[in-house]
Amino acid sequence: MIRVEHLSKEYKIARRKPGLRGAAQNLFHRTYDTKAAVSDVSFSIDQGEMVGYIGANGAGKSTTIKMLCGILTPTAGEVRVAGIVPYKQRQRNARNIGAVFGQRTQLFWDIPARESFNLLKHIYQIPQHRFDENLRTFSDVLELEPLFGRPVRQMSLGEKMRCELAAAFLQDPLVVYLDEPTIGLDVSVKARIRKFIREMNRNRKTTVILTTHDMQDIEEICSRLIMIDAGRLLYDGDLRSVRQRFGNRRTIHFDLATTATDTAMPAQLAPWVFAEWEGREKVHIQFDARQTSASDVIAAMMQSYAVRDLTITDPSIESIVKDIYERGLS
Amino acid sequence: MTVWRYARLYLEFVKQVLKVWLEYRVDFFIGALSTIVIQFASLLFVTVVFEHIQQLNGWSFYQILFIYGIAATGRSIHLIFFDNLWTLGWQYIRTGNFDRLLIRPINPLFHLIADRIQQDGVGQLAIGLVVLIVAATHDGTVWTPASLLLLILLILSSGVIFSAVNLFFATLSFWMVDSLPVMFATFSLSDFARYPLTIYNKGIRVLLTWIIPYGFTAFYPAASILEPAKFGLMALITPLVAAICSVLAYLFWNVGLRAYTSTGN
Repeated sequence: MIRVEHLSKEYKIARRKPGLRGAAQNLFHRTYDTKAAVSDVSFSIDQGEMVGYIGANGAGKSTTIKMLCGILTPTAGEVRVAGIVPYKQRQRNARNIGAVFGQRTQLFWDIPARESFNLLKHIYQIPQHRFDENLRTFSDVLELEPLFGRPVRQMSLGEKMRCELAAAFLQDPLVVYLDEPTIGLDVSVKARIRKFIREMNRNRKTTVILTTHDMQDIEEICSRLIMIDAGRLLYDGDLRSVRQRFGNRRTIHFDLATTATDTAMPAQLAPWVFAEWEGREKVHIQFDARQTSASDVIAAMMQSYAVRDLTITDPSIESIVKDIYERGLS
Repeated sequence: MTVWRYARLYLEFVKQVLKVWLEYRVDFFIGALSTIVIQFASLLFVTVVFEHIQQLNGWSFYQILFIYGIAATGRSIHLIFFDNLWTLGWQYIRTGNFDRLLIRPINPLFHLIADRIQQDGVGQLAIGLVVLIVAATHDGTVWTPASLLLLILLILSSGVIFSAVNLFFATLSFWMVDSLPVMFATFSLSDFARYPLTIYNKGIRVLLTWIIPYGFTAFYPAASILEPAKFGLMALITPLVAAICSVLAYLFWNVGLRAYTSTGN
């Protein structure tokens, strides 16, 4: 469905000289730096796959997605989406794809959602019966009914996102690009959206490419991960091996009530944990849940320090990417 | 085939806009009214000037009014239908919303233009038509169905020229993010074109005729009807100027679009 071969994109950035004199020089003589946003990335994705495309901010995720959508022309390499080169036949490619771009709305700001969908029907030339059928199916999962009469600008983030998803799948696209579809949403809306994406994929074999910072999104939606870092492909494979490696990793952040005099870990914890101090009043402790438990770590810490507050977190995408980058996935 | 499809699609956009207008009736009337007030202010200026002089460089009050009327109606076509060009830089490119237009299976320029229909333009159209009718019935022209038809064609061309020039300078936004200041500067030149070009020196005449052809948005069309012997030819080439401007502006737009897709935002 999607084939990407040796894809690269370089941006030219004007180098600005400092000061007024520099600004004047820039007017007449500009020097450029080239920044490689994506370098020599290759992968191929079959129909019906659900792929998490992840990386830290600025890793080149959205540049890649833009090239897949036909919004950007690559510097080198080749892209084919359903047999079409997107940047050469942008409008034809647009018929095959749907997209949700985080905070930017695909809907029309001022008009009620129902009318927005209706306009999309005309833009994509969706047959009436198909349009009605899709809206009915989508409404069941996304609970769109109460939103139909309202314009996007009067919607909450969650309501808006439900409509965005419906809009992205409305024209029966072959491929859907979802850029941070759950960012800032509450748990129940997130669950609803994930369910919707899974159902679309199961019933229609829609290929889904998802970029997110939410590990839960990936666990529940994707079966495959493609990771990029600094524009280069870092990992391409199934989710299972990543989960085996990182799925049990926890971090507990401790805020201490007093300044610690000794930064060594309690003896019973030392073999199992990795501690990172932030000054002498904060410490982040990483461990593997199979080797020791959160309750043991907390108990031991409480014994040794005056703990004021603590939070437990799953590993972030950034930390996983960083880890794979530094140590590989073996 | 494609034209038919786009025409029907445009109608769908118009339907939506009309629904919004009906929903916000007060906004609609305030918008329309405010343009009428602005128009009145500049009309008042012309009237006051003519209280002191009989003729301006050989042109009578009603003749000047006639030029003014064509300018106002031509401009209103641009204002109603092509107003969104103004927002390309700050509402589409700067915010990244332009990408939304690029992932739709329709022409992005069409989408940009159809995204907005400006209600304030209706007020301008109304006052333009009133001025035109008053002037046309007082300036001594004898009207025939043929000359009326010609007038309509000339006004449409005027609207197209306004829009094409604006499209050309809006396109600069693809390189400079927001070309609004350049668009404003250029558009303000069109104020000169509301008066007989014969009152200006040669430099301005050449500029407004052959470089940024705002002369064809009001003066030449009016003059070709008021003084066919002297300016008749200009009536014939006005639609041609409109067509050439459109083609040039659209080609330039495509160049800009290509630059945008190769550099991104």
